[in-house]
Amino acid sequence: MKIRVVQRHGTALKDRLYLPAIWQGLKITATHLLKNVGDIKSVDVLEYPEEQPSDITNRYRGLHRLTHREDGSVRCVACYMCATACPAGCIFIEAAERTDGVDEKMPSRFAIDTLECVFCGYCVEACPCDAIRMDTGIFSLIGSRREDFVLEKEQLLAHKGAFDE
Amino acid sequence: MIEIFVNDQSLHVNEGVLLIEALIQNRIDIPYFCYHEALGMDGNCRMCMVGIEGQKRPQIACDTIVKAGMRVHTTGERIEDVRRRILELELVNHPVDCPICDQAGECKLQDFYMDYGLYDSAVSKGEKVHGAKHVDLGANVMLDQERCVLCARCTRFTCNITKTHELGIIGRGDHARISTMPGRKLSNPYAMNVVDLCPVGALTSKDFRFAQRVWFLSSTPSVCHSCAKGCNIFIDHNAPKYQKERIYRFRPRRNDAVNGHFICDAGRLSYKSLNDHRLTCNNPDAMDRAKALIQAAHNIALLVDANLYCEQLDALVAFAQRIGAQLYCPNQCYYDEGFGDEWLRRPWRAANLAHINTLGITQSTPSEAHDLIISFNHPDLSSLTCKHKIAFSTHEGVEADVVLALRSWAEEAGTLINITA
Repeated sequence: MKIRVVQRHGTALKDRLYLPAIWQGLKITATHLLKNVGDIKSVDVLEYPEEQPSDITNRYRGLHRLTHREDGSVRCVACYMCATACPAGCIFIEAAERTDGVDEKMPSRFAIDTLECVFCGYCVEACPCDAIRMDTGIFSLIGSRREDFVLEKEQLLAHKGAFDE
Repeated sequence: MIEIFVNDQSLHVNEGVLLIEALIQNRIDIPYFCYHEALGMDGNCRMCMVGIEGQKRPQIACDTIVKAGMRVHTTGERIEDVRRRILELELVNHPVDCPICDQAGECKLQDFYMDYGLYDSAVSKGEKVHGAKHVDLGANVMLDQERCVLCARCTRFTCNITKTHELGIIGRGDHARISTMPGRKLSNPYAMNVVDLCPVGALTSKDFRFAQRVWFLSSTPSVCHSCAKGCNIFIDHNAPKYQKERIYRFRPRRNDAVNGHFICDAGRLSYKSLNDHRLTCNNPDAMDRAKALIQAAHNIALLVDANLYCEQLDALVAFAQRIGAQLYCPNQCYYDEGFGDEWLRRPWRAANLAHINTLGITQSTPSEAHDLIISFNHPDLSSLTCKHKIAFSTHEGVEADVVLALRSWAEEAGTLINITA
């Protein structure tokens, strides 16, 4: 076996003094500061929330929505595939007999706890019915209580898709 | 014992058994729908094809009796091709509605498709022959004719085992379907066993319908407490997130010495009482008040439930000696003449009466001379009059001076002695 001895970095006097490295770092910071103060318009800043982002694409995983069938009824059949795939365990489904005559099964409750959700998109991948999507483009949710962040079926059905099919 | 060779592996099997039995006993993978240990062979599903050396074509293992020196192949390109084609025929009119099917997760069609199928369907959804869906057959059984593979396990169960003959196969070819006889419903005390027998989602339980997906459930082996027979069961339970543990269903567990493969519907549905109206916590001073009552009493009666485990009863006998109490287990409340039958149901509706007999516990109502009754979950406590009562109870709604929570039989481990006669 061949052994190659590597000289450890940072043993030279210049390195052990620290001050040259600190000076070098501060120099970069100061250069940027002077440049930006001189030309404030060129700084890439989004003045959120007055200014909203314009670069959200259809691949962006925003808040979830439940989709509808052509006849307007809920597409979800409460198969629990999303809840099974969910790594955060944040999807709460209660299944019930379907009463609208479209199918046999539907969710009587379908809730997503967005505080637990990690927005991984596995639920969308797992859904066999294209019933759940994350294409709303909604990236912020505001509430004052924990319960406000648990999105129930009615809220999820009310969300609209932000992009063309 | 004779020797046969399966996939060049030597097996010693009893003479005269079916080849499929020998394969199942030796845990060799063999797909089948219609064969069942309790119902015997029928030979209609054709899934259990195996290659037998010396035979021109593949043969079904369920209609082949083992012969000494027989050489059998359960794998190989030819056998797998045959299986794939047979499975494709079984699935030709299947609606593939697994998302709404309660059988999904424990379905033989799903398992075999993943093991042997994996073909692209040659039939489009519009061309399929449709049948009736969600038909209420009675006795808590739902029928979906489209999902059926016509294995005839359910009809053989009602014909050969319960001998009630409610189910039959009507129609021919693609239009053959399971149905009840005109104007009749499925109704016998063992009807829900067809749900377990059905290898696919054609027969599902109305009671378990949409309650839970099966892959969330954990199964714990146990013994049914609905009567003295002691049928072996699996308790299927789960605690959904932020919720208490619940029991979702009982399933029969095979025990040839007691119940075979089946349980009665009353026992199967008895899980419900374990979920609701449970007493779960004690008052902080309950134990001290109970102690004070016991110390003040002169003549104590200790009432024990005949559903307690042997270990619990033995401990209560020791406890009774220590506090100088007399043991009682009034047994009339457990007797239900109409419940008994000649198969699995026994008129004594408590699981451990045999041990109550062995311990020699008085099986009549305690005399009125007692000034304190301590009850361990005995159902008769409320009908007895006494100066003071202490109740250890699994359920709410017990009136006593002190009530203490007790774990139910499903939450404890123990031994039971059944009455098979």
